[in-house]
Amino acid sequence: MTAVVAIACVHCGLPSPAGCDYCCAGCEIVHAAIAEHGLERFYGLRETATPARTSSASYAELDDPAFRRIHIDDVAGGGCHVALYLEELRCTACVWLVESTPRCLDGVNEVRVDLGRARADVWWDPAVTSLAAIAHHLDRIGHVVHPYRGADRERHRRREDRALLIKLGVAGAAMGNLMLLAIALYAGLFGGMAAADTLFFRWASMLVAVPALGFAATPMFRTALGSLRAGRLHLDLPLSIGILAGLAWGTANVIRGVGDIYFDSLSMLVFLLLVSRWVVLRHQRRASSAAEMLLALTPSRVRRIDASGVSDVPIEAIAIGDRLVVRAGETIPIDGTVALGTSAIDAGLLTGESRPVEVAPGDRVHAGTVNVAGPLEVIASAVGEQTRVGALVAKIAGLTTRRAAIERLVDQIAGRFVAVVTLGAVAVFAVWSPVSPALGAEHAMALLVVTCPCALALATPLAVSVALGRAARRGILIKGADALERLATPGTLYIDKTGTLTEGRLAIATWLGDVDARALAAAVEAGSAHPIARAFALDHAPVATEVREQLGHGIEGLVEGRRILVGSPSWIRERCILRSDAEAWISDVARRGETPIAIAIERTVVAVVGLADPVRSDARSALDQLARMGWRIEILSGDDTRVVTSVGAQLGLDPARCYGAMSPEKKLARVEATRARGPVVMVGDGVNDAAAIAAATCGIAVSGAAEIAIEAADVYLRSPSIGAIAATAAGATATLATIRRSLRFSLVYNLTTGTLAALGIIHPLLAAVLMPASSLTVLASSLRSRAFRSPQ
Amino acid sequence: MTALYIVLPLALLVAAGAVGAFIWAVRSGQLDDTETPPRRILFDDD
Repeated sequence: MTAVVAIACVHCGLPSPAGCDYCCAGCEIVHAAIAEHGLERFYGLRETATPARTSSASYAELDDPAFRRIHIDDVAGGGCHVALYLEELRCTACVWLVESTPRCLDGVNEVRVDLGRARADVWWDPAVTSLAAIAHHLDRIGHVVHPYRGADRERHRRREDRALLIKLGVAGAAMGNLMLLAIALYAGLFGGMAAADTLFFRWASMLVAVPALGFAATPMFRTALGSLRAGRLHLDLPLSIGILAGLAWGTANVIRGVGDIYFDSLSMLVFLLLVSRWVVLRHQRRASSAAEMLLALTPSRVRRIDASGVSDVPIEAIAIGDRLVVRAGETIPIDGTVALGTSAIDAGLLTGESRPVEVAPGDRVHAGTVNVAGPLEVIASAVGEQTRVGALVAKIAGLTTRRAAIERLVDQIAGRFVAVVTLGAVAVFAVWSPVSPALGAEHAMALLVVTCPCALALATPLAVSVALGRAARRGILIKGADALERLATPGTLYIDKTGTLTEGRLAIATWLGDVDARALAAAVEAGSAHPIARAFALDHAPVATEVREQLGHGIEGLVEGRRILVGSPSWIRERCILRSDAEAWISDVARRGETPIAIAIERTVVAVVGLADPVRSDARSALDQLARMGWRIEILSGDDTRVVTSVGAQLGLDPARCYGAMSPEKKLARVEATRARGPVVMVGDGVNDAAAIAAATCGIAVSGAAEIAIEAADVYLRSPSIGAIAATAAGATATLATIRRSLRFSLVYNLTTGTLAALGIIHPLLAAVLMPASSLTVLASSLRSRAFRSPQ
Repeated sequence: MTALYIVLPLALLVAAGAVGAFIWAVRSGQLDDTETPPRRILFDDD
């Protein structure tokens, strides 16, 4: 026996099959494209190597006038510009490769990549080349192309980002200058300073602080006002009170010429708050735009049959009663009735069902389902939002916008904080005013200023941004800080089966009888596109001739001179002899909840195969981990109850927790009912899960999920491992623990300074030392967080 | 110490100029993408 030497793939370095230079067709195409244009420098620049992905899309729709109108703008001086979203854009080498396009393709003037947004801006001359050709080139070098949607949303966000960045810059400059002025004043306290100079420095501080901080702290003031109007308490309220009290009292003291000023501490407070906001915003933007931009190209053109024959028309032109042709492999664009043809329909989108359903004339088909076998003629009965999937999408959009805001931990504390500090200030004033009303006012103001909850306000954003950043590096995209708090308390976790716990494709699970028949069955099935045929696929199968496929029943052909039949037991029974052991095999397979397929050679059944959707290899350990954390796990699936129970058994779940035959509407109802009793997390991948994902306390979409499910979810797992669900929940718990620890630190600090201020022994210099000290403590505590740390 | 009365406003003016330059940079989009440009300097061939 000779040892098989695995050769590393030329493109990605993964082991390749014996005798091949590449691990897969994608790598081969991409490497050829790179070599053809002399761009091998790519291999020196890149940081990570992954198998290449290309698509066979023609991109003809990018040259459609309708697309041109919406997405392409003309550039002054000739040429066009378009923004594209590219998949798999990860490192310097990708940027270089994509930006090298003008050297490979005539007519492309410039390509600029924005790595963070996975966006490429292309300028080209439409007279020389077409956008479809450019997209085809980008696809061939490993980046599947989508139009960049949501440009308006992006513009709006960019305005917001820039406004915050400007405030951050102003606050930073104010802080630096105020610190310098403060150092001079503090030095004067100890070394002595002419009264006129002191006055000058105090006025200079005031003239810098009041306009700069008044401008930079507007986001805080705005939220505080908004929360007051809405009658809810928000942490920005005590912050705004502290900032405003500090500015007002400082100004009053500068004008009076006596008393303390706190401008340096205040400026640092505002600056740190803006920094933390900026960091969190950037993490959230990255996660949500990555999820949004996964929008796939939806089929917008359909083939309509009219008097003059078949014509290509946009989907919007279809009216009820129109007759359409849907070819094999295409998505059905409308709800309707089959008029002609038989085929199999993959209704996974609506039902989550892993097996295709056979359809014949007279059967109803739904928009969004995929025609897998043969061409069909369909008469439209509902289009657009009237289709079942359209109604579902509308409902999901409604649920997502109405998702209840949870009362955040820090806002709960802020409520009590405002009450305590205000009462404290009143009490201090009351106690000191018999001594001197001016002294009373001074101490009360000092209390308001030094207890301004800087560290309290920093605790959450710092912990959250550390968590979001680390999670994103592990392929877990979390859209908002709330999602972490929603996930931190264990409750009920509903999980979809097909595509989430399982791989979402049929594979051979049981083989009873002659194992050598495997190659023969593979040969017969090689030419078929049916999902069952794909389960039999084998690399080096012999060649079959005279293959005849009978849709929904089976397939037959001649292999090495022998007639082979592969098909459903009933179809085989009509044609072959079944021994009693073969009948026992069939009932055995059916009992397991698998699909039985019989294989016959020369009219004798030699083997019975059970097909099932294989459970993902890491599912068991992920569920066990979640159960240990206190989650109650249940499966919600559109598939047959027997199949669901069998998958549940493989994962160690009680049959009572495995719900089969759940329509999207039933899933939604179940999630809503459970939510009344506590936190509910819904994990899924399909359109049929999206409503439940939107309705849950926290929704999680797994890798490969439908775009609507990704949009509805709070968390999107980019890595295919579902172990990430457990990691997300654990990370959320750890983040909340960090937040609590930081909050305790900052409360202790506030209690100390508050007491000192109430006693009248606080000094601005002490405040200037304690404030950064408390912020640094919180910063250190957040960075030490165990949340989402990669396992060593 | 009379020099301070001239130098301090001057220093603040310079700082204001720096803030103005920063605002201009942000408004003209120079800080929109902070991730790709540092990688682009690695391409030495064009």
